[in-house]
Amino acid sequence: MAKVVMDPITRIEGHLKVEMSTKDVETSTGTWQVVDEAWSSGTLFRGWESILRGRDPRDAWYLTQRICGVCPAPHAEASIQAIEAAFSVEPTPVATLIRNIIHGAYYIYDHMIHTYLLIGPELGVLAKYPPMVPPALGKDGIAKLGLGSSYAKCVEMQRKANEIVAMWGGKFPHHASEYPGGMSVKPTLDRIAATITNMAEIWPFIAETMVSDLLALVGANETIGEAVSTLLDVPFRGLQDLGVCTGNFLSYGSHPDPENYADWLAIYDGPGRRSSALTHAGAWDGDFKDFNLNKIVEYVKYSKYDNQSGLTPDNETAPVPNQNKEGAYSWLKAPRYDGKVYEVGPLARMINTYGLTWKVPRVNPMTGEDLGEFKYTVLNPKGSVVDRVAARVAFALICANKMFEWATDLKGYLGQKVTNYREIPQTGEGFGLYDAPRGGLLHYLNIKNKVIDNYQCVVPSTWNLGPRDDMGRPGPVETALQGTWLPKDLDVPTIASAVWPAEDIDLSPLGINSTVKWGDALATALTPLGLAKLNMEPSEGSTYNTSLAITVVRSYDPCIACAVHLIDRR
Amino acid sequence: MKVKVRLSRRNFMKTVAAMGASAFLASYKSDLVKALSEVKDYWHICWLNGAACTGCTVSFAQVAEPDLIQVLTEITVGNSGLPIALPDYMETIHPASGTLAESLKERWAEGQQGKRIMVVEGSVQDPGWCVVAGKDFRDHVKEAAETADVIVAVGQCATYGGIPAARPNPTNARSLKQYLTEIGINKPVVNLPLCPVNGEHVLLTLAAVMIDAPLDLDEYGRPKAFFGTNMHDELCPYRPYYDRGIFITVPGEGEGCRYKIGCKGPVTNTDCASRKWVNHTSYCVESGAPCIGCSEPGWPDKFSPFYVEIGEVPTLLGVDPTTLGQGLLGATAAGVVVHGVKRAATKGKKEENEENKEV
Repeated sequence: MAKVVMDPITRIEGHLKVEMSTKDVETSTGTWQVVDEAWSSGTLFRGWESILRGRDPRDAWYLTQRICGVCPAPHAEASIQAIEAAFSVEPTPVATLIRNIIHGAYYIYDHMIHTYLLIGPELGVLAKYPPMVPPALGKDGIAKLGLGSSYAKCVEMQRKANEIVAMWGGKFPHHASEYPGGMSVKPTLDRIAATITNMAEIWPFIAETMVSDLLALVGANETIGEAVSTLLDVPFRGLQDLGVCTGNFLSYGSHPDPENYADWLAIYDGPGRRSSALTHAGAWDGDFKDFNLNKIVEYVKYSKYDNQSGLTPDNETAPVPNQNKEGAYSWLKAPRYDGKVYEVGPLARMINTYGLTWKVPRVNPMTGEDLGEFKYTVLNPKGSVVDRVAARVAFALICANKMFEWATDLKGYLGQKVTNYREIPQTGEGFGLYDAPRGGLLHYLNIKNKVIDNYQCVVPSTWNLGPRDDMGRPGPVETALQGTWLPKDLDVPTIASAVWPAEDIDLSPLGINSTVKWGDALATALTPLGLAKLNMEPSEGSTYNTSLAITVVRSYDPCIACAVHLIDRR
Repeated sequence: MKVKVRLSRRNFMKTVAAMGASAFLASYKSDLVKALSEVKDYWHICWLNGAACTGCTVSFAQVAEPDLIQVLTEITVGNSGLPIALPDYMETIHPASGTLAESLKERWAEGQQGKRIMVVEGSVQDPGWCVVAGKDFRDHVKEAAETADVIVAVGQCATYGGIPAARPNPTNARSLKQYLTEIGINKPVVNLPLCPVNGEHVLLTLAAVMIDAPLDLDEYGRPKAFFGTNMHDELCPYRPYYDRGIFITVPGEGEGCRYKIGCKGPVTNTDCASRKWVNHTSYCVESGAPCIGCSEPGWPDKFSPFYVEIGEVPTLLGVDPTTLGQGLLGATAAGVVVHGVKRAATKGKKEENEENKEV
C-alpha cells in the first residue's frame, strides 16, 4: 500500500488536499493500483461566521457573497432570502425576475468555466479531443489544429455572461444590487435589450459548441472504456464508471416563479418540491422524494470541533475549534440528510427535476432555427464524472433558453414597484435555501437587538468534500474516489497513446513533418511548458498518475473557500 | 477622464516615457497590445492565493480587448513563440497540480533576474490557518517575496486585510505589505484594492511594469492613475442629484443620489465610475446601489453598515472614529466635513466650477 497525495489540487476554487491509500488489484494483465480509501481536507480557515456577528443584518448578503469569488451570486441569493425571512418580507415579482436573470447569466458563466477551464483539459486529453485542451500552442495551434478552440472561446463567452450580471448587478464578481424585499436596480428597456444582445452570442456557443463538445466526449467514451478495460482486464465502461457515488441526490431548487413565490417559501413550513421553480427541491434515492429541511444535520466526530454533533443548522452555535481533537482529520463538517450520504450539485439538480432522462429544446430564440432536441440519459444512476459534466451542459442550455423568456417577461413589469421596504426587526430568524451551481446552499440568520446574533452556512462543497460522519461513512468525494485507477509509473502521454494508439495526428500545419500518436502530440505540447510530469505524484520510489483521481475530484467542482469550517489536517 | 493613446508602434515606447505612467495606465485596448509587443523579455509571474475567495482571479479573467486569451496566446515574445506572460504558477487556472505545480514555483524563482513578478491575492494570517502543499502560506509568501523583482497585491484582502481582517479578525489576517514589513522585507508593494480587484487594473499594472513605465503611487500604495480621483466629487454622474438634494431613500424606488442609502462615494477614491467593470459594463452605483468603499484601507469595518449614511456609520459597530483611524479615518472624517461645507456653499461655487470646466 502506498500513500498518494494531491496537494494543492489546482483548477478548483481554494485550497484542497486529497490523500489516497492504494491497493493492488491482480488481473490476467498484471498488478494494478487503485484507490482504497481517500481523505479530503481543505487548507484555509477564515472564520466568516464570527465576523458576521454584531453587524447590521442587511450587510450579511454583501459579506457572505464574498465567502467565494467564483460563486458569489448564489451566496448573495441564499443570504438575501434568509434576511427576507427574518424581516418577514417577500421580494416583489419584478425583483424575483431580475434575480432570475442575474442567476441565469451567472449559472451560464459558472458551468462554462468549469466545463472548459477547470475540468476540460483532462477530459480533452482522455477523449483525444483538441478543442477542450488548453491552447498550449497559441493562436497558431487554435487556427491550424483546433487545439484549445472551445477553451479559448469559453473565455470570451463567460465574460459575455458576466456582462449581463454586471448590467443588473453593477459588477461581477460580487454584484451590488440586492436589497431585502427587492433590488436596488430597476428594469429598463436598455438593460433588457443589452441582455438579449449578449444572449444572442452566448446561446449558439452553448447550444452548438458546448453540446457538440459533450457529444464528442460521450462518443469517445466507449473507446476509453474498451481500451482501459482491456489493458487492466477489469470491467470499465468509460467515464460513467469513474467517480461513482451513492446514488442519493439532494437539491433545494433554483429560479423561483416570480408570480408563485408562496410555493417557493412553502418548503420552510414542511416537506415539498418547489415544483413551480425552474429546478426543484428534492431528495432522490432512486425515485422522486420531497425535500424536508428538518432532515439536515451536521456531524463533527471527525471534524476538529468540540461542538455537539448531529445538530440541525438552526441549533448549531459558533464553531469551537480544537486542532488536537483525537481522531479528527478535517475542519469540514459532515452534513448528512436523513442520516445518509447525499451528493449535491448539477447532477442532483437535474435528476431531482427531470429524472434520469433530460430533453432540452434547441430552437434558436433569435432565428427560430431548430437544431434538434438535446437528449441525454444518465449513464450511471449512482452518479459519475461524465454525468456530472453532462448535467452542467444541459443546465447551461436550459438557462440560455430561459434568459430570453425572463428578459422578455420583464418588459411587462416596467415601472412597477421593485422593493417592499421593511425596517430592521428587533428580533427574527430565517433560512435561505438556493441551489448554487455546485449544489444546495443553506444560509441561516438569527437577529437579536437588530443585529446578527447567529449566522450559519451549510455549503455545497461541505456536502461533497466533507469527511467521514459519526457512523464512519466517507463523504461523497471520498466515496467516489474508491477504486479509481492510479497508473503507476505511466505518465499522461503514455496513457493517452495506450488509449489512442493510431498514428494520426498530423503536425505538418505547425511545420513539423510527421504524423504521430495522440500521446506524442501531447508530449510535444507539454514538454516545452515544463509539464511533462503532469499529475504525476511521487510515493515510495514510484510515481502515480493522478489524472483520473483528480478528474473525479474536479467533477464535483470543489469550492473550498465556501466550505469555510476547515483547515489543514496535521 | 480616459486619455486615449493612439500612436504608431514605433514611437509608442518613447511617448509613454515622455507622458508618464498616468496616460499609459488610463489607456487600454489595442494600445496595450502595441506596448506589450515592444517587450523583448519573457516575464515570469507567480500568482499566490492566501486567505482569498478567488474573486480577484475571476475578475482578472473578465478583462477585454485584449482579453486573457489574447494576452496568453497572441502576444508572444520576439520569435520565441512563448506567450508574454503565461504565469509560471497560478493555482486557479494552471494545468499542473500537486508536486509539479509546486516545482513550477521554483522555476519561477530561477527566472531571469529583474523579470520576476509576484502577485498576491488574499490576506496573510497567523500560522496554521492557510497551508498549501504542507507549507504555511506565510512561508510561500516569504520565499517568493525574497526573490521577486516586482510585488503586486491584488484585491482588498491582500492590500489592506479585507473581510478576513474585519472585526474580530479571528485569524489575525493582515495585508501583504504589513506582513512583509513584519518579517523585514522592505520591497515596495503595488496595491490594487477593490473587492474584487478590477481586472483591468491588474492587466494595465502588469503591462506598465513590463514596459518600464513609472508607477506613481499614493500614500496607501495605490497607483494614482486608478485611485487618485474621488468617486463623489470628481466622477459621480449622479452628483447633480446630490447638489439639488434629490435622494433615493429606498433602494430600487425613485431616482436620485445614493447618499442617504449609505453611499460611501464621498470618502472613496477609485475610478469605478469611469472605468466601470466587466468590459466597461457598469458599476455598483449605476445598479442603484450605494458605493461601499471597498478601495479604502479599513474596509469593511470603517465603511459599514453599508446602508447607513456616512455620518452615522462608526457608532453602530461600536467603533470610536476618533481612536481607530490610522490616518485614514481622520482623513475621511475631514473629507466629510469639507464636503459638507462645499455642499452648504452651494450654487455660486458650483456655477463657477462649471464655467471653469468649459474653458
